[in-house]
Amino acid sequence: MNKDIELVSKLKNPALKDIAFSELVDVYQERLYWHIRKIVITHENADDVLQNTFIRVYKSMTGFQSKSSLHTWMYRIAYNESIRLLENNNKKAHHALAEVPERYLEMLFEDAYFDGNDLQKKLQKIISEFPKKQQGIFQMKYFDDLSFRQISDILKIAESTLKSSYYSAVKIIEEKILQ
Amino acid sequence: MEKSTENNENDRFLKEGGNHRPSQMHGDFLGTTVPEGYFTQSKISILEKVKHQSQEKKKPKIFWMQPAIRYGVAASLVFALSITLWLEKVNNSDRIDKNALELLSFSDDVLVNSLFIDEADLDDFTKRTLINEVVLQAELSEQHLEDILINSLFIEDSLLDSYTSDRLLETIIL
Repeated sequence: MNKDIELVSKLKNPALKDIAFSELVDVYQERLYWHIRKIVITHENADDVLQNTFIRVYKSMTGFQSKSSLHTWMYRIAYNESIRLLENNNKKAHHALAEVPERYLEMLFEDAYFDGNDLQKKLQKIISEFPKKQQGIFQMKYFDDLSFRQISDILKIAESTLKSSYYSAVKIIEEKILQ
Repeated sequence: MEKSTENNENDRFLKEGGNHRPSQMHGDFLGTTVPEGYFTQSKISILEKVKHQSQEKKKPKIFWMQPAIRYGVAASLVFALSITLWLEKVNNSDRIDKNALELLSFSDDVLVNSLFIDEADLDDFTKRTLINEVVLQAELSEQHLEDILINSLFIEDSLLDSYTSDRLLETIIL
């Protein structure tokens, strides 16, 4: 957290901005990528969104008021950029956004950068069956290693609700993975 | 009864998670991967794009082509044109034009006509009245004098003729 505060002050200093931005990319690139990838599914889409996210962060840094943490702010930008891409793709493909979950697994397994075995495919299928919010909560907690507080800041959901949703998801996965 | 190996593996599957790099986690549990060296390449690409955008911003533009200047000039021109048209309309409707002013100054009743004149035009009216009353009248008077002179010459001639004719005869006869 303190490191984030230090980074923000450097980013707002025109003389240090470029160096600080390079450091920011080092710290957040991988985490943001996977957060994005789970929403947009394919590596190609995730690459586009990741670049757009960092460009938007760079441009908007002067307006960042530290009302939320840097981490939360960047995750929210990444989420919004991901949704924007999906909506644009849906417009081009004439698919309603609601139809995307049905194609989720199909797109995932066809992606060039998915080489999961049967067990991994099984886990992906179980997660895809959760409601969208619960999917996000589970993935952010388990795979992105975010705290409940951080997830609460990003999704604007109470921590108690998050905990209940997460442990429910874990229980379902543990039961189904054994079947 | 032996527990199936597969079920044991499945059972341990999620419990072994956590505290790994995100890429490893996603690769191990979800089967999703990235190209080798992707993050290094991605960072270079991001920094280049950001640098390019900064340079685009800093590029000096022709002063008068900058949007703020362009729109400001255009707005000023439109404003100036509107004001000119409006003032012209107002001036034409409210003020007596110079032709009318001339006509009024030629009129006999200067005092009455001066009531129709705006204060701003009063000087002009006064000058024109002065010109008409003094200068032009003087010219007319001069011309009148000339006429009188010419007429007098004619009369003199005629009188002389008359005198000459009668007196001469008288003188000659007497």
